[in-house]
Amino acid sequence: MSARSDPITVGAVAYHPRIVTIWERFRSYFAEAGVPTDYLLYSNYERLIDAVLAGEVEIGWNTNTAFVALERRLGREARILGMRDVDAAYATVIVTRRGEAFDDPRELAGRRLALGSRDSGHAAILPLHHLGREGLDAAADCALVRFDTDLGKHGDTGDSELRVVQAVAEGGADAGALGDATWAAFRAAGLPATHGLEVAWRSPVYSHCNFTALPGLDAALAERWTAALLAMDRDDPPLREAMDLEGVRRWLPGDRAGYADLFAAVAAQERAEAAT
Amino acid sequence: VSGGGAGAADAREPAAGPARRLDAEQLELGGGLEVLLQAALAGMAPGEQVDVVTRSRAVALELPGWARLEGHAAGDPRRVERPGRDGAAAAATGGRAPSGPPPPERDRGRWAVRLRRGPGDRVAVAADATDTRSPDRRRPPAPGDARPSGAAVPSAGSQQRGALAPPLRDGGRFHTADWRDGGLAPPVPEEAGRTAGLAPLGALPEPGAPAFDWPLHRREQLWAADVAELAEQATAEQWDATADVPWATAAELPEPLDRAVAQVMTFIAQNEYAALYVPAAFLPQVHPAFPEALQWLAGHVHDEARHVEVFTKRALLCRTPGHALAATELSLRTLLDERDFTNAALLLNVLGEGTFLDLLRFVERHAPDPATAAAARLAHRDERRHVHFGVSHVRRALAGDPDRRAALVAAAEQRAAKLTELTGLSPLLTEGLTILAAGSLRPAALSDGAAAVRGLTATMEENRLRRLRAAGFDAATARRLSELHTPNLM
Repeated sequence: MSARSDPITVGAVAYHPRIVTIWERFRSYFAEAGVPTDYLLYSNYERLIDAVLAGEVEIGWNTNTAFVALERRLGREARILGMRDVDAAYATVIVTRRGEAFDDPRELAGRRLALGSRDSGHAAILPLHHLGREGLDAAADCALVRFDTDLGKHGDTGDSELRVVQAVAEGGADAGALGDATWAAFRAAGLPATHGLEVAWRSPVYSHCNFTALPGLDAALAERWTAALLAMDRDDPPLREAMDLEGVRRWLPGDRAGYADLFAAVAAQERAEAAT
Repeated sequence: VSGGGAGAADAREPAAGPARRLDAEQLELGGGLEVLLQAALAGMAPGEQVDVVTRSRAVALELPGWARLEGHAAGDPRRVERPGRDGAAAAATGGRAPSGPPPPERDRGRWAVRLRRGPGDRVAVAADATDTRSPDRRRPPAPGDARPSGAAVPSAGSQQRGALAPPLRDGGRFHTADWRDGGLAPPVPEEAGRTAGLAPLGALPEPGAPAFDWPLHRREQLWAADVAELAEQATAEQWDATADVPWATAAELPEPLDRAVAQVMTFIAQNEYAALYVPAAFLPQVHPAFPEALQWLAGHVHDEARHVEVFTKRALLCRTPGHALAATELSLRTLLDERDFTNAALLLNVLGEGTFLDLLRFVERHAPDPATAAAARLAHRDERRHVHFGVSHVRRALAGDPDRRAALVAAAEQRAAKLTELTGLSPLLTEGLTILAAGSLRPAALSDGAAAVRGLTATMEENRLRRLRAAGFDAATARRLSELHTPNLM
């Protein structure tokens, strides 16, 4: 086992002040677990990807969009060190006003479809991709109502999805796409705009955030770090608050399979943009 | 990665195999379905599966997201029952006649989503109900774990008391003490975690709450054997200073009685302020694990507020305002300076309020009108409880710690040292009491009045000694403490 006294560095995007609370607590945890870890915060995922590729940080806490962008720039497989339970089997849902749900997404042709930030995998890129697979070229056939708020944060803040839900509720759009976990959280919070809406469609599942390292990261160190991550226990009171703020009940090992659709979607988007 | 427990695939997909069935009928998330789901999942072990069957496609489509946020795995929604050619509408409306247009095809028949219960409980439980932040206790004991002695707190989901009947006294009265004594509620802790939170008696505190700091967190600091019963009594004996005093009888009194009543009432009300502020200052220091003590102190404060009210009202009915005397204030100020609960119990409850018992009895006996007599009588009833608590608490403190006696004497000495300017009862008060007892300025009556006041001070001293002995002091110490007691009476 390689011994290292300096901390391993994790980069994360500061999309909310709570990120500091979370990482201060995680930092203490990793130190107690014998895998000293420090963190650096970035204002957006593009900067974080730069930092991982440049070796400024060894691990990036990436969205799925950031992970795909990183691997595409890297040109080979990066190493996935772990993900939240909520990141596994993530899905996008499309909501409509109650009673206006559709049986086939192609019924949305000619209607207004609200999307979240264009750099959000779950609220913009993947819904367009999966609707396309089901026969709807939404970019061409629908009037897209985009809410490009907090660009660079890849939808982390939830702000654009809130606007999607409000737009559908208030009649500014006929349907709107957002993450299924975001929708569930809006529901649980009793957000009034959700009351008159229903879920009409659900995408195939995919994976969301993950901890990504370059392939050159010392394998033994990577394994020790992942083992410490997976050993986090939400029943440990000081960790519980931080884990709840991070939206994780338990950490899972990473899994590449859940990103195939996003790779395909990003490549297709790139081709489409090149063609125009 | 080895040693990480369940793999990612495990969290993604429930497996084939056995599953319970939960019929959600037409319930929706946000409309009661989550209550049904949580109740079902609470009764399941981690890894157990349930097929949630719903009549709504929309509900089926959003169930997986809900489940994941709650830490459970969910499979894809699937249609389990397609509508027949006939009876489709009946199936979709639970057999009732549809009140509106028939539901769309997608909401006919049934949909199912398989959930697998994730690990962990929704709410964590502290190992010690009175200490939610003990650093060496990271999690509640799992079933089968050795438990710390005396702790009986298993994990949250299985926590049950079983069917209980309240231990009622005659007339259906439910006393907290009976609940404790019957072993149905935790015993009074000798020491409660100083930083614990606001957990009601018998509740399961969730760890991770913000830390408090309770100065009075040890039983010996504030307890009296009968505090629970005294608190019950206080509740039962509440009275109303507005309605329970025959105010119509407080007719205009001739001078000098009017002036005497004004001064005596003002003096008593002034002292009652101190009797209010002393327990009120301790109230927010008392650990929530001692609800009986809190109830007692809250009642004490309420009693004193009522005493301020009733004696102020009587003074307001006099033509001449009484004087709020500076010497009285000096004495009371030293009482408010006392920061130790037991010292304060001696100085306020045993010595101050004890002496006031005799004063109130004197006022009642010599009151020139029924309203004044009633005010003194009703206040006396409350003060008796307060004195009883003080005697009981100090006796317990002395029995538990022989060194406590010296600390109590020192507290009395320190207070007396601050009151060297006070040489005796205020002449204004002495005159007021004398006129009250005399009823007029006739020399013969005044002579009797003065004798009555001399008798009062003798009675006060005699009873003070008796109470100090009852509180556990030896004769010499009782004599010393009585001598140190303020000439202001409180």
